[in-house]
Amino acid sequence: MTQPTLAHTHAMQSLGIERLSLLGKHSQVLMAAYLHGEIDEAQLSERALRQLVHAHIVYQPDDTRGFILRPNVSDLIASMVADENRRHVHSDVADKLETIRVCVLTLREAQRRGDVTKADLQLQRLTALVHDLAGQFGEAIDSLWHRLNSNFGFVSSLSDKIRENERAQKQITRLLDGLNLVDFDMLIELGEGNVQLRKLLVSQLQRQLSAHHSSLLEVQKRLVQLMVRFREQQARSVLIANMAGFLREHTNFVVGDYAYRHQVPDLINQAKPIRPAAAISLDSHVASALAAELLAHIPRQQSHDVLPSSQEQVQVDIDSPLVAAREQALKADVEAFMLHVIDSGQAVSALEYLTQQQLDWDPEVWLFQVLGEYQGLHSEQRRLFMLQRDEHPMHRHNQVMVIEDLRLNFHFAA
Amino acid sequence: MSHVHGPLVEALLQGDFICAISDEENYRRLQQEDCQQAIDQYLKPLNRRLAQSQDGAVFYLAYIEFDEQARAQLSQQLQHTVQSLLPLLEWMQLVQEALGRDGALGAGEAIKLAEFVLKTEDNPSLRSRLKQLANDRFFNSQADSVDAQAKQIFKRLREHGYVRQPHTDRLYFEVTGKIDYLIELVRFIRDEENLPVSEEAMQESLI
Repeated sequence: MTQPTLAHTHAMQSLGIERLSLLGKHSQVLMAAYLHGEIDEAQLSERALRQLVHAHIVYQPDDTRGFILRPNVSDLIASMVADENRRHVHSDVADKLETIRVCVLTLREAQRRGDVTKADLQLQRLTALVHDLAGQFGEAIDSLWHRLNSNFGFVSSLSDKIRENERAQKQITRLLDGLNLVDFDMLIELGEGNVQLRKLLVSQLQRQLSAHHSSLLEVQKRLVQLMVRFREQQARSVLIANMAGFLREHTNFVVGDYAYRHQVPDLINQAKPIRPAAAISLDSHVASALAAELLAHIPRQQSHDVLPSSQEQVQVDIDSPLVAAREQALKADVEAFMLHVIDSGQAVSALEYLTQQQLDWDPEVWLFQVLGEYQGLHSEQRRLFMLQRDEHPMHRHNQVMVIEDLRLNFHFAA
Repeated sequence: MSHVHGPLVEALLQGDFICAISDEENYRRLQQEDCQQAIDQYLKPLNRRLAQSQDGAVFYLAYIEFDEQARAQLSQQLQHTVQSLLPLLEWMQLVQEALGRDGALGAGEAIKLAEFVLKTEDNPSLRSRLKQLANDRFFNSQADSVDAQAKQIFKRLREHGYVRQPHTDRLYFEVTGKIDYLIELVRFIRDEENLPVSEEAMQESLI
């Protein structure tokens, strides 16, 4: 049992290889046939042509026509070369329709003769042809959408995009022309009285092609829109470049006095800016409340921002030698007061000391200086002194403490 | 009126151009006729009315009546704009080339300053053109680095309303409708002065 099967497999293998190599051997002629519809017989020897026919690669639909590729070979090539070549689609729609017509006639003839096998074969071929026809449009349309949606991103320059868009639009015109060739009356006639044929030729093909038709119109509309945009962009670039060039060459270029025309062009009629200014009206109760709130939100100036002016004042004063001398005297008097406290060994009132010594300082200045000197002492020295503030609140409602007097005491114990 | 359109009227009075990019919300409002009428009514005593570019992409304020002062102001303003024309056009070309854009800059396009600087720094020709442009009186930069020059240029463009900076802390700019207005002005001047400035691309002999 195994022997014959092996032999059979072996035979099939060698036949397959032989026929596949036919594809390679005649690839140029076959590709030309794929693109142009028919085999150029001048390119092939009679023997080679016979081999191709035997291999079911090409066939001759009828005597009046030349040899064409079998649909399955066309499909094979289409699937191998993918998109790019499919763009150059199909001025051969008329051809395909003719093939379909012939195929239908053969099918009907076979059915009349009762040749079921041949009829089945023809129906298969016909199905493939119809599929092929609709498929060609479908693929081309897919490719168009793809190019449109990618904004022709596969080319970089604007002029290339414009060129690609033009090509795509031409292709659409060709496809639409091709679709218009499909005569549905003829197809209805062909399918008459045969359910399968009607289904295939009328409902299926018609449905697919009318979908393709509306898709093509849509993609056409969009391509035109995109083209308008491309053209605008291009015109703008060119305008900018040329105007810049002109202005560079004519450095003293002056425009006309459009503003003094009777009819001032809108384009240059640009009114002078007005900055609306407003202030809070304090006579309005609402506004003053708002003003108070606004004032409260004004960021406080940092103290060091305020200081410079007062320091400046002091600086000026200090610069004057007289003031500097008085300041030094005040300092010396306070030091003397402190020594007196140490000597006395008890708490001494600063104001009492001031009157006792008949010093000529304003009491407030004196107290301020005493406090200042005390706080200026080194912390270890300051611990030896005890400062008592004789103070009271400024007012019942105001807790600011007013210092009346200062009593300073010295003790070694600390 | 003052509550609804207050900020819009204020912006217009200040001489702002309102477009879909610079102020989307107010631009939408300005497209409604009743809003336009309300604003026109309001501005009448100030001798001002709403105007828009030919393609309707930008709104601004125009005079109603032309006294001597208004005419003098318009005339001077036009001169300023014409003086700034060349640097602005050169800037547009420079950005287009540096960023490798398809077409000329248009409203709504985004420019990342860092990208622009990077591309310019890498190219000696772009670098020298940028330097020259930055030195122009309109941009007025004395800086030496590409980065500082570009920053100054975009700062000035923002001040003049040609670009918008949506986030103050990011150096990312959007071209406003004022650029389209400028292009309209270029076409207008070309037509008025019969300048030999074509916008037709060279006919390409392909296909």
